[in-house]
Amino acid sequence: MSEKINLTLKVWRQNRGEEGRFETYEAKGIDTAASFLEMLDVVNDELTLKGVEPIAFEHDCREGICGCCGSLVNGKTHGSHDRTTLCQLHMRHFKDGQELVIEPFRANAFPVLKDLIVDRSGLDEIITEGGYVAVKTGNAPEASTTPIKKELAEAAMDAAECIGCGACVAACPNGSAMLFTAAKVSQYALLPQGHPERTKRVKNMVSKMDELGFGNCSNEYECAVACPKGIDVVNIARLNREFIKANLGKS
Amino acid sequence: MSIKTSILSSIGQKLLLATSGLIMFLMFLIPHMGGNILFLFGPELFNSYAHHLHKLVPIVIGIEVLMLISITVHMIIGIRVALANKKAASTRHSQKSSAKRSFAARMMPVSGLMIFIFIIKHLLDFTFTQKNQVYIHDEIGYDVYEMVLYRFQDPVHVAFYILFMIAVGFHLSHALQSALQTYGIYVPREGSKIKIASAVIATLMAATFAIIPITAFIR
Amino acid sequence: MLKLDAKIPDGPMAEKWTKHKFNVKLVNPANRRKYNIIVVGTGLAGASAAATLAEQGYNVDCFTYSDSPRRAHSIAAQGGINAAKNYPNDGDSIHRLFYDTVKGGDYRSREANVHRLAECSNLIIDHCVAQGIPFAREYGGYLDNRSFGGAQVSRTFYARGQTGQQLLIGAYGALQKEIKKGGVKMYTRCEVIDVVVIDGQARGIISRNLVTGELTRHVADAVVLATGGYGNVFFLSTNAMNCNATAAWRAYKKGAAFANPCYTQIHPTCIPVHGEYQSKLTLMSESLRNDGRIWVPKKKGDKRPPNEIPEEERDYYLERKYPSFGNLVPRDLASRNAKQVCDAGHGVGPTGQAVYLDFADAIERLGKDNIEAKYGNLFEMYNRITDEDPYTTPMMIFPAVHYTMGGLWVDYNLMTTLPGLYALGECNFSDHGANRLGASALMQGLADGYFVIPNTINDYLATSEIPKVGTDHAAFDESEKAAKEKLDKLLAINGKRTVDDFHKELGLLMWEKCGMARNEKGLKEALEKIPKIREEFWKDLNVPGSADDLNQALEKANRVADFMEFAELMVKDALERAESCGGHFREESQTEEGEAQRNDDEFCYVAAWEFQGLDKEPVLHKEELNFEVVKLSQRSYK
Repeated sequence: MSEKINLTLKVWRQNRGEEGRFETYEAKGIDTAASFLEMLDVVNDELTLKGVEPIAFEHDCREGICGCCGSLVNGKTHGSHDRTTLCQLHMRHFKDGQELVIEPFRANAFPVLKDLIVDRSGLDEIITEGGYVAVKTGNAPEASTTPIKKELAEAAMDAAECIGCGACVAACPNGSAMLFTAAKVSQYALLPQGHPERTKRVKNMVSKMDELGFGNCSNEYECAVACPKGIDVVNIARLNREFIKANLGKS
Repeated sequence: MSIKTSILSSIGQKLLLATSGLIMFLMFLIPHMGGNILFLFGPELFNSYAHHLHKLVPIVIGIEVLMLISITVHMIIGIRVALANKKAASTRHSQKSSAKRSFAARMMPVSGLMIFIFIIKHLLDFTFTQKNQVYIHDEIGYDVYEMVLYRFQDPVHVAFYILFMIAVGFHLSHALQSALQTYGIYVPREGSKIKIASAVIATLMAATFAIIPITAFIR
Repeated sequence: MLKLDAKIPDGPMAEKWTKHKFNVKLVNPANRRKYNIIVVGTGLAGASAAATLAEQGYNVDCFTYSDSPRRAHSIAAQGGINAAKNYPNDGDSIHRLFYDTVKGGDYRSREANVHRLAECSNLIIDHCVAQGIPFAREYGGYLDNRSFGGAQVSRTFYARGQTGQQLLIGAYGALQKEIKKGGVKMYTRCEVIDVVVIDGQARGIISRNLVTGELTRHVADAVVLATGGYGNVFFLSTNAMNCNATAAWRAYKKGAAFANPCYTQIHPTCIPVHGEYQSKLTLMSESLRNDGRIWVPKKKGDKRPPNEIPEEERDYYLERKYPSFGNLVPRDLASRNAKQVCDAGHGVGPTGQAVYLDFADAIERLGKDNIEAKYGNLFEMYNRITDEDPYTTPMMIFPAVHYTMGGLWVDYNLMTTLPGLYALGECNFSDHGANRLGASALMQGLADGYFVIPNTINDYLATSEIPKVGTDHAAFDESEKAAKEKLDKLLAINGKRTVDDFHKELGLLMWEKCGMARNEKGLKEALEKIPKIREEFWKDLNVPGSADDLNQALEKANRVADFMEFAELMVKDALERAESCGGHFREESQTEEGEAQRNDDEFCYVAAWEFQGLDKEPVLHKEELNFEVVKLSQRSYK
């Protein structure tokens, strides 16, 4: 059964083009059955009526699949490292009287737009460079033409579950987007549909990733701990392999 | 993507780091450790090993040149990567690492620099120094055994060596498995054998290296 | 005065689409780059349309309010996508998929559109497989199928419980491919807040940059809306928080007719509301009803924990009332009955607005391991949200608004009554009639985007006189000015209530009066109350911040302001349709046993509403539905 708790929030507030700072707010009478974002809704309603601008935070589906939400809560991406997004984290995991430090996902490649909202368009730019199979509508052969081993399809699906939230980048000590990039490269390295473009894909995506100022992978695997979808670092090994193959082969 | 940009890409640089590191590990560290173990078996064997090593001058010089290249590449790339990473993850406030992040991984740049300092000191201690001449197999050689014994009479000196061997151990324990991941042959799972093996090999090597000064001190 | 012309091609049902594709006028490949097309929305329909039109050579400007096209709510669809591949060899065909969809829609959809949808379904699977979507496969390496409600064949393709996500990422990939080539210019964090009409043609949009607040003008030769449904008019729904009806509603106010706004689908198995703070509802896959038994206590207001209520004091009401279908009755029946037992005081949980879905018998019969293998991830999701263990205590479920079948009226070419304005996916009044079958929303979104619009929009572009205009045209000035005034007005009210507060009030009213079951009295009450809430909204709303900044409260207020107007049309439509059909139960129209009674004599039409001005009554136009192939019959699940 749910109960009511009181919390102290230290929230990062920042306007576009200005320096940010932490502000302290009280979250009173929060139902422990509420989700983290619903707790923020309650705080925001109170702030609004007090004439304070509500805390800006990104969210949409609130089902853990769109990848919009995400902040650091007490230093952890999505508030826990329990394969959950912030919208699916419930207040019962917090104690009455607890102080919560809420910060945006930080990385050099994720500039803060406002408060807890960061610009993650770099992730889209990496995909633009080849995170797809370049098939035009109308090109496709009959779907059952190429059988694909179930194990391969499952492994590709494991990688394809990425929701693009950016927690991996925020959790990486180096602000690297390797896990994100690796998940997409892996999906198409595992499936035959991705093979014609595999060389170009991995080279271009890695080069874009570097260009955007994401850091290097130092194989510390914080990304996988943070990933709400449990994307494994085995994908990073596969990305490295694809990269080596692409550069050793004739281009 | 040209060769140059491939090499200087994030993965390219990691490959250079892994390769230069592995060269030093396989071509230098392991043979060096093998030689050092002979110290435990007394002056004759150890001096004889050193004497024979000196006869293989062309090979030794070849390896030394390779080491010089490797260490230069390893350091330049290591520093480049560390600086880029620092920049990519600036402006963080409350960030905490997960419990899973290893101390060894976190300390890579520090342990790397420590090893560099150690190498210089080590060279000054044993390579660029006066050695006593003795007869070995009826030829004139150096009494390397005696020199080691002499160097490690000072407990502070012994402690210094042990401390730096611990740094080597930590550096290796992350480096070995990390290099395999960079080559794309790592299959990480919870309690993965590679991860454990990496830590075990690193600990054994560090311990073996550390035994020499300790033994010398006791003798 | 508007005249509805559905432009359904002549000829036998199975040949209409093929014939039509030949008969439409084409645009020469070299000339296509001279045409600008605006696509609003990047869900399955929008992303696939933008990508495919760009592939053909058109210049496409694509808009989304999200930070990335990949966030659109198509991503949340769990179950799968239907296609008439007949891989399981169980008697499926294009004709059967067509037939099931018309019947499932309770005979309120346009036959020709539905047939085309069934024809496109197989092409979608081919295309998505070629895109590298990791559909579930069998050990032989071939595609796996599962069965879904409303069909007696296994025709649903799926990718774990994330089919929508995978299909959307596929369409998003296609879009990225065209962005890279330069065929699509992508505008993220840009919300379309008006459609610009010049000389009776849709010629552009006004969009608001959600980061800087800047209003910008975009001119085009045709505008394609793929902005999803209006389920958020109820405040609580399974829609994403930002889903809204703004673009469609503004298009309606500019002359596009709105069809069947009262058609809403209520999904029976959602996690119930917990409290006041609740912001949205979460759906649990319908497949749970295969093994779960639904019941409530026989005694009213029984507060005992479920495990202490003895067998003889439980009412398995679906099994009692529908012995042959039991817990597997269609969505609308399951939902309505849950509401009835709760209204009668038998509801459970803290709010009394829930029923039990009990797996105890299934666990005893099949073993816990089996149940875990089948529903493990769903049980985990339930546990994550409610902190209860469905293996030991029954789940609590309640129906929730899930999908809207109504939308902008479109002809066979998917063009609205406003020339040059198209509506795709959930945004149009669709092919689903009065009720959508499971796994058909994804099918329709992709069919519209990949295969229909690329074959119909060329006809308009090739045959219409579309004069060259710039964004300095007076119509743009006017639209931008009106949009700006509205935003400023919202900021200037400075009242005492938040946007959510008003949205909740409106939503609750809609849920009670225009939700699962409606009656004339309730609808008339709602019609009186909505204008009052709207008036209050414009008097006592509080929106902090400014219009030149990232201001989420302002975004929300601007959307809710449109819902305040839209709700009224929805209720009017519900009042007008004095029959029960599909997901829509009209209490005055029921059989002696209390089942839904359709009235084909009076209501076998599409209700398309034409805007006349805010203070004037909208005009109802009726598109008669003619069933050439499928015979009308009353559904029965007894």
